[in-house]
Amino acid sequence: MKLHTIITAFLTLALTAASLAKAPSDVDATSSSASEAEALAAWQKVYEVFSHPRCANCHVPEDNIPRWSGPSYGLTQGEWLNHGINITGGESRIGAESIPCMACHQSTNAELPHAPPGAPTWRLAPVEMVWWKKSSQEICQQIKDPKRNGGRSLQEVADHIGHDALVQWGWAPGPGREPAPYSSEEVVNFLESWRVAGAPCPAPTE
Amino acid sequence: MKKKLSVNGVQHTVDVDPSTPLLWVLREQLALTGTKFGCGIAQCGACTVMIDGVPIRSCVLPLASLEGRQVMTIEGLAPSDEKLHPLQQAWIEHQVPQCGYCQSGQLMSAAALLARNPEPTDAEIDGAMQGNICRCGMYGRIRKAIKSAATSRIAQSELHTFDKTDEASDE
Repeated sequence: MKLHTIITAFLTLALTAASLAKAPSDVDATSSSASEAEALAAWQKVYEVFSHPRCANCHVPEDNIPRWSGPSYGLTQGEWLNHGINITGGESRIGAESIPCMACHQSTNAELPHAPPGAPTWRLAPVEMVWWKKSSQEICQQIKDPKRNGGRSLQEVADHIGHDALVQWGWAPGPGREPAPYSSEEVVNFLESWRVAGAPCPAPTE
Repeated sequence: MKKKLSVNGVQHTVDVDPSTPLLWVLREQLALTGTKFGCGIAQCGACTVMIDGVPIRSCVLPLASLEGRQVMTIEGLAPSDEKLHPLQQAWIEHQVPQCGYCQSGQLMSAAALLARNPEPTDAEIDGAMQGNICRCGMYGRIRKAIKSAATSRIAQSELHTFDKTDEASDE
């Protein structure tokens, strides 16, 4: 009993001292704020990549139509076209219902200007992973939701970005196409910085 | 570099750079000139052949990717020298070809469609044939001919595909 009283008194003193030490400088609050700001800055770079035409053109909604957007098509920010010749990926997202993506998109980029790009697999992203015209906050929330990110942890998302052959194509898209920004290694690092800082999502945009 | 290639059930050995597109191998090495060069960048469909039953633009398909795969060209579509494929017959009946340049590609895409979908709707035909451009604008006749072939009993029973066990060899 006596020992318990001594320990309680000691802990009370220690906690009081700690709170007194923190209060005047507000160090933790500043540090936490800086950490979240850094995490959001890292996420913003990830969003810059995910919303880039090399990624977003094939992360399309349930209309299953690949988009053509970006300077490679002579279009300015916000302009876009549907994929030429009325192409649709169909519900299969690989064109199995009409013209298979692989009818034109082979396992490597065709080297002639305006010829189709290629990668070992070529398909639309699953419909629950839509990024086309989605805000930073919307994509952030989707990436964190295993029901909408292919059942992945955030570390597995980073691994997917670092190793998937079709994702890697975004940085080597062949002649005449603007690559996605940064490098896949940098994006993996951005994702990791964001994840360890608690993976905060930005506020919704108006 | 020597590569083996199975075309219309016949095994060939060709000595070309593995990056050579299939279209050039078909036309210049194997003298199978029914498959046409249109745009050369997979935008028009004139060069369509079937690879393992899937319609593919041969002008952008490197030879290196074809090991162990079955190529079918327009020359292999008819079941025999005496008998046309139901689609070819329907093409004649509906007078589909005008200049005719795109027709081998059109027929290969149509044959691939009927092989996987024996009774396509108009929308399904339109979807499958979107990538085959016809400069003469014969799209209405193409659709009619596909419908005609699809609804005939012949088309139902004689859609032609090659089996690996049927292969001959040119060696």
